[in-house]
Formats: sequence, structure tokens, C-alpha cells
Amino acid sequence: MGRRVRITGADGQEWEGTLVPSHELLGARIVQLKLESGYNIGVRVDPSAQLHVLPSDEPPAAEPGPDTNGEPKTSGSAARGADPVHLLTTGGTIASRVDYRTGGVRPVHDERGILAFFPDLEEGGPVHVVPVFDRLSEEIAPDDWSVLAGRVVEAFHQGAPGVVVAHGTDTLAYSAAALSFLLRDLPGPVVVVGAQRSPDRPSSDGFGNMTAAVRVARRGALSEVVVLMHEGLSDDRFAIHRATRVRKMHSSRRDAFQSRNGPALGWVEGDAIILTEPVRPRSLSSPRVEGRFDPRGALLWSHPGLTPERAERFVEGLRGVILAGTGLGHVSSVHLPWIRRAVAEGKVVLMTTQCLEGSVDPYVYATGRELLRAGVLYGGDLLPETAYVKLLWALGMSDQAHEVGRLLLEDRAGEFEPRHPPGAGA
Amino acid sequence: MKAGLEVHQQLSTGKLFCACPSELSETVNAELTRRLRATGGENHHVDPAAAFQASRGLTYRYESTPKNCLVELDEEPPHPINADAVDVALMLALMLKARPLDEIEVMRKIVVDGSNTAGFQRTALIAVNGELTLSGKRYSIPTICLEEDAARKTGESHGELRYRVDRLGIPLIEVATGPEISSGSEAREVAEEIGTLLRATRKVRRGIGTIREDLNVSTTGGARVELKGVQELRLIQKYADTEEERQRVLLSIRDALRARGASAPTQEAILLTSLFAGVTGGPLADAVRSKGWVLGLRLPGFAGLLKPPGDSAERLGRELADQARAAGLKGLLHSDELPGLGVEESAVAQVRTALDCREMDGFVLVASRDEASARRAIEAVRVRAARALEGIPSETRDPLADGRTRYSRPLPGRDRMYPETDVPPVRVDAERLRRIRESLPERPEAQRARIAKSFGLPMESVRQLQQLDELERFEHLVGKGHDAPSVARLLTQTLPSLEPPTDAVAEAPPIDDGLLHTLLQAVERGDFAKEGIGPVLGALRAGAPNVEEAARRAGLKGITLEELARMAERLVERNLAMVRDRGAEAFSPLMGDLMKEARGQIDGGQIAKALREAIARKSASSPR
Repeated sequence: MGRRVRITGADGQEWEGTLVPSHELLGARIVQLKLESGYNIGVRVDPSAQLHVLPSDEPPAAEPGPDTNGEPKTSGSAARGADPVHLLTTGGTIASRVDYRTGGVRPVHDERGILAFFPDLEEGGPVHVVPVFDRLSEEIAPDDWSVLAGRVVEAFHQGAPGVVVAHGTDTLAYSAAALSFLLRDLPGPVVVVGAQRSPDRPSSDGFGNMTAAVRVARRGALSEVVVLMHEGLSDDRFAIHRATRVRKMHSSRRDAFQSRNGPALGWVEGDAIILTEPVRPRSLSSPRVEGRFDPRGALLWSHPGLTPERAERFVEGLRGVILAGTGLGHVSSVHLPWIRRAVAEGKVVLMTTQCLEGSVDPYVYATGRELLRAGVLYGGDLLPETAYVKLLWALGMSDQAHEVGRLLLEDRAGEFEPRHPPGAGA
Repeated sequence: MKAGLEVHQQLSTGKLFCACPSELSETVNAELTRRLRATGGENHHVDPAAAFQASRGLTYRYESTPKNCLVELDEEPPHPINADAVDVALMLALMLKARPLDEIEVMRKIVVDGSNTAGFQRTALIAVNGELTLSGKRYSIPTICLEEDAARKTGESHGELRYRVDRLGIPLIEVATGPEISSGSEAREVAEEIGTLLRATRKVRRGIGTIREDLNVSTTGGARVELKGVQELRLIQKYADTEEERQRVLLSIRDALRARGASAPTQEAILLTSLFAGVTGGPLADAVRSKGWVLGLRLPGFAGLLKPPGDSAERLGRELADQARAAGLKGLLHSDELPGLGVEESAVAQVRTALDCREMDGFVLVASRDEASARRAIEAVRVRAARALEGIPSETRDPLADGRTRYSRPLPGRDRMYPETDVPPVRVDAERLRRIRESLPERPEAQRARIAKSFGLPMESVRQLQQLDELERFEHLVGKGHDAPSVARLLTQTLPSLEPPTDAVAEAPPIDDGLLHTLLQAVERGDFAKEGIGPVLGALRAGAPNVEEAARRAGLKGITLEELARMAERLVERNLAMVRDRGAEAFSPLMGDLMKEARGQIDGGQIAKALREAIARKSASSPR
């Protein structure tokens, strides 16, 4: 790779260029060349084709790869004196660039690369980059949430005024909710941030998101886990969401993250951080991790045609299940028998709504009342995903089903919103 | 001069990477603002052109219309490349005898001037090594690309550029010729022939701005300069000539600078605001009033060469001012135009002292309300002045309406290209090429030869018909039995000279093939003469509901040969003395009068014949 070559095809056509790593999607027998003009082309190499390696006047282009010195780095140019904001990186689009092997985007291994990508990051003070994982967010699992929480606590103990967690957006809301349930007595903000466009693109939303996140971590007057992303399609305002009430509502838009069942906590615009909802203020408390995740919980999205046999098999071996029911929190009455058996076996069954907006209510229809009698807990306006993360945490907190149930229904991190004013929905 | 052309033609296939139509819109239903950063390509080099644009630190405001979707706003990944557009590009490639690639890879070309919401333009090389033969000369076509058009600029205000994304993503075929064009008129011919080939695919958009030409010009000793977006074909000649002249003048200035031992400016820029405290008018006044920045820079050995005597508008002072403009200022002042422009002679002397200028030294002044822009501008001027000693910098230039050009940005390099990994590559297989080869349109030169031969038309009329894209209509109308020269005249002369329709006339029938057929039939029946076609079409444009009524409104009733004969008889009677006196020679003076009376109502040849006969009768019957 990186060599200058001349390929002479079966038809006599000559191609000169630099060999570049081929795309996974490329057809068989196609090699990819970068021409002098900068264009890449695919050239079919038949058995009769000839390939000559040409002398090169510049050293072969280095393939981007691991380049870490293993040490977290604080930029020397940053203002001294102030405690650095800690930036925990986990991978994801916000720290990705084009991977010439797979053709997709892949995470940057090198934390120095992060500061190179975001040259404005330290304009308000130093930033200390701490690589934690190097994964796209769909590869992040519940055990990783606990590791991440431990690193957040460490960062605060080292004097960080706030912590930024850079995370892939696909499962960002799960991880953010997990941090909300695990972390106790936070002294300052934990800002989970992502990007919908990778920072190797001039138009990446990552630049604005990251700068605003660092700003909130440094100066925001709150001590909660929040998610910060674009408020709209413009690069000028960034919404601050409570981590337990936010959801990725679009596969690609910059403003994919929306607070459900109520407004966002506030926004960042330029230098200003504006909080419009009540938040937990900064404190001098000493943070800690409370609890762990028991993986024996799951989330079941109910749908017409779901057979009770399949559902019962799904909950086998589990200690609890979150149902994303229809409407006010319903599943077909054919499921009542297995639900009764599951509850009798000590499994926790919690109902949420797949409407993603509004509360469940067991009293309006007969089905709801029957489910309630079968032992199903009703989870108010908990988002299904938040409920799932909370279930794993609650299972980790207690062996007792009734205690797990009690924890599930008790507000721990602002995950319930009892008031739903009209127009307050996202 | 050696020049190459790049012709960019919009396609009507729908957008290249989404399902939106290839249409513009005047309705804005959403706006958003963005910022762009220069980012590295595969090897993390930042392209000079990209870095330059990003350094301007602008905000971009995008207007979205009902014809747009999230893809144009960079809010949804691009869809797979439009297969119809690829087919058109491959069709053109085959028509230009080019070699299509085995597999097409879409690239991102970093362009952070805001014209692309993503910060890059998607482009793909489709074919290489084509050729075009025109008037016996062969031009190489090194590349044929398919790329997306940029958003169109709709406004600019302090620190903000406004774009509408309706045009963004319309497919553009880019055909590049080798540097084999040696005159402006040749450039024009080649551009027109490529345009004709493109239209032959029947998948192109029509109208102003749908085809654009870039001109790559280099002269002996000069550098390659790209003139971006020459919209009017007829100006290509002028731009090429102007560019040749500009390069010639700048090279002679370079030689003069070298001969007198001028050197690159290395002195620090000096703050001179205090020298101009009394200035109330001219380019410096605003900066002085707002307590801003006036910076001066000594140009060692440049005196008299910034604005050399003579008529040439192309001079070094203007090149330096372009740099200041590109850096965000309105321009600059240089020593060859001072005193003047609000600056007194005494102030000039003070500047020269402050900058430590000797007699042969020139200087420039830039003024701005803020320090950063003033410094950015003066540093750009410094770099450009140093280049003046080397030759012509390679750069992208904007063509102006008067045929001159203006610096726009450095020429972008290969570092601005990296793969568009969101779009899968496209395999070009033999089956696809076979299918396209079978549906290739007739080649323009073959079409011209065929039409000229089978209809006995002069080649120039055929060429005109082709330029106007009227060949199909021509063949259709002639096929209905109309006379070929008349149809050609109607399509190449009468129709193009027609006034454009006004909005007030909503009911005017469209001037389509059916209407032209009716019109020609009326002439052939003798309802009115062929000279009446123009007035009748005018009346139709003005709202006449049909040909018959249009003829009436145009005052053309059509007359019979008998009526014409009586008209001629009466005229001769009125001028009997002259007819008797001059006999057949009375024809010339009388023909004008009879034409006035009968023009458009009957064929001109018949009018002459009738008059001759009437004169002959009178002369014959007159007593001797």
C-alpha cells in the first residue's frame, strides 16, 4: 500500500497512481488507485494485467493507525493554573475518521488526535484527555458503564471541575442513563456528548457539540449527568438534556437527541450557558459509584402477533423484563398466563409505553387492570430504554423482587416527570 | 496561449445523491446556520484552498425550499449515486470515445466556502482518454467526471454568506479538454460542440446557469490559472484574451522589477493610523473615524510598477488589491495612485518617511475597523508582492461581467480529495455499456452532415439549428410537408427574435410544433405571406387566441392575385406620367410604394411580378 504503480490492463489501457487500501464493498479483482489528480478509481486486474511498481519521490503515505504514547495528554498551550476538564473518550463518531480499510468511519486511537481535531477545545482552559474505550457505541455493554462511572469518579477526585464523556450516539442515551443511576453525590456536571457527523468532515456537528460540552463541564452550575447535542439544525445552539429523559429520535439529524415528556434543561449559545429547568446545583460532595449492573434483565417490544410462547422463552433465565407496551401500557391478554407465572417465579415485570411520550396508566382499560392484577408494575413516563438500564441497576442493588420493584418506581435521577404541561413535549 | 476547458452541464435526471428533483425554487421554508472547518484528508494534510476559506471564519446561512430534503442539508447520509445520471455520463463518455472506468469511486472534494453544506463536493471520475475532433483538429478529453452542483449564493452580509440549497446536488457532468486550445474563438467552438453533445443525451437542464465553463489558461512563462464559472459562452473569448493580456503585463512587470533589483517585502507592517487623523474622505476615512487600523507596507523597488502608464487595465496594484479584498477588506491604496483618494501629498511624504521608503520604493496601505482583518490583508499582500518577482501565481479567478477577472482563491491541490465512504462504488459492467451503446444518439457532426445533405440546407443554417437545439422540430415540420428553407428561417431567425412573453398575457397559446404547423399551412394557403409570420407570432405572444385571429390583429388579411393586380393597376394609374416617361425603369420607385401596401399579405415575388405586368400593360397601351 502507498506505492506508486502502473497497471496495464488486458485492453492496453494504462493506469498510474498510488495503491490505496481497498474498500470492503469493492468488487472482486478490483484494485483501488489514487490518481495524481486526487481521484480514486477502481481498476479491474485480469490475469493478463501487468503491474509495475514505480520509483517514488516521496515516502509512502503512512496509514493512519495506533499512535498513542499511552499517556493522557494535556496540551501545553492551555492556560495553566485552572484544573483541567477531563475528557473521557470511548470512541464513536465524535472521535472517528474515515477508515480506508473498511471504507467506513472508525474511532481514533490516538488521544492527541482528539485535540488536533478540536483546536478550539482549550480556549477556556485546559482539557485532560483520558481514553477509556475505543469502540463504536453499539459495542459498548453494561459492564463498560461501570468502568466509565469509575473513571468519572476518578476525574472528580483529581480536581476536575466537570467531566465530558465523548460517546457514539447510537447507545449514548443508554450509557448516559447508566451513569445517572450509578453516580452519587456528584460535585459537578458529567456531560455526555456525541456527533452525528464525523470530525473529518468540515461540517461536523462534533466541533460545536464538543466545545459547548467542555464549556458546560467547566462552568455549568449543575451536578448531574446530562447529554449535550445540537438543539436544532443550526450550529449555534446546543441543548442540555437530563440523561434519563433523552432519546435519539432520528438516525441522522444533528438534533436527533430530544428530551421526552418535558423540555430540555437549558442550552448553550456562544459563551452563555442558560438553564431554564431546576437542576441539582454544584456541591462540594465527594462522588462515588453506587451499585452495579445485573445483566439478567431485558427489554421486550410488544407487537401484534407476538405469541405468548415466544415471549415466555424470551424471559427465560431473566430476573426482570421491561415491556414496551402499546398506548397506555397494554399487551394482548394472551400474555397474561406467562406474566402471572413469571411474577410468581419472582421476576420483575415493568410496563412502559412504546409511544415514547406520555405515561402508562393501568386503570383506563380492562387490559391494564388485568395486567396490574397479574403483578405488572406500571412505570409512569419512564422511557423504555431508561427503564431497562434502571432495571439492570436495580437488579444489581437487590436480590429481592419487591425491593427491585420499589427501586424501579422511586425517582433516583430525575427519570420521572409527574407534570406534563401542554406543549412541553419535544 | 495554451488553454483547456472544463464544461459543466446540469442534468435533469433528479439529484445525484437524493430523490429530490433537479429544480430550483423561489420558496424558502426553512433557514439554518452553519460553520465549517478545514479538515485533513487521508494523510491529514490540509489543502491550501480549504484552509484559506476556513480562515475567513464566516457563518453560512442556508435556505431550504420545498424541493429539498435532509440530504442537501447534510442531515441525512447521501443515497447511492443516481443511476440515470451515471448512464448519461457514460453515454457522453462513449460519444467522446473515452474509456469508462471499471469501477466508479465517489470522492469528497473539500470546499469550505460554504457552497456545500457538507464542506465538500462529491465527485467521481467516470471516464478517461476521450477525444473530440472539430474542424479537422483533435482535442483530447482527459477526464469526464460526474459531480454534484453547489448551493447557489443568494446574499452576503457582515460575516455571513447566504446560500440556497435548491441547486445543491443537481448532477453536473464535467468534461475537461487538454490544453490544446490556442485562441478564444477556438475555446468557444469547442465549448459549443461539447454543449451540443451534452444536449444530444436529452437529459440536460436548459437555460441560464445550467451550463458553465471554466477556462484553464497558461501562457509561456506564466502559470496555470483557472477561470471559474464563465456563464456566457460569448465571453469566453474575451476572458481568454484578457487573461492572456493580464499574464503578459504581469510578466513584463516582473522583468522590470528584476531589472531594477526590486526585492520581496520583508519589513514589518507598520501602524500608520495617526498619520491620517485629518482624513475625512476616501477609502481610509471609515477606519480612521472608527479608530481602526491603517497598516503600511514598504515594497522595495516597486515604485511606478504598481500602476504602469498605458491603457492596460491589468496591473500589479489591482492584483494586490484583490488579495486585500479576498481577506475581507474593500481594497487597498498603493503609492502609484497617491496623492489622491482623500490622501494629501503631505501625508504621502509622512508615510514614505515612516516606512523608510527610498525613491524607487513603493508602498501599500490597508485600512480596517479591526486589527485582525487589516493584518490578514497586509500579509496576503506581502505574499502576493513577493510572487510578483517570480511570475504568475497559479490561482482560481472569478470572471467579471466586463470580461476581466478577479482573484478568488489559491488553486486547490490533490490534498482536498478523499473517499466518500457513505456511497458504495459502482461497478461498470459490459452489459451496462452495451445497453448504453445501443441507445447512443446520433453524433452532432454526423447529424449536421445528414441534415444538410438530405434537405439541401447550407451547413451554417444546420449548425444554427443544432445550436438552438431545433433540429428535432425542424425534421418534424419538414416531415409534415413544409418547405425546408422556410422552416429553417422560422426556427433560426423569426422565433429567436421574438419578444419574450409578458406575464400579463396568461391566455397566449404556447408556440409549439402544432401551432407552427398551422402557421406554415396558413402561409402556404396564401392567407398571408411569409413576411407576415413574425407579426403573427408577435400577435400570438400578445394574447391572440389562434393564428387566424393573430393575422387579423396584425393587419394581415391576405389578398388574392386578382386583388394584387388591381392594386398594381391603381398605383400605375396614379403615376401614369412617370410610367409613360420611364417605362420599365419606373419599377424601382413604384415597388417601394406597392410593398408598403401589400407586404405580409402576399409573397414579395408576386408583388414584383404584378407591378412589372401592370407597368408593361400601361407602357404598351400608351399612345406614342
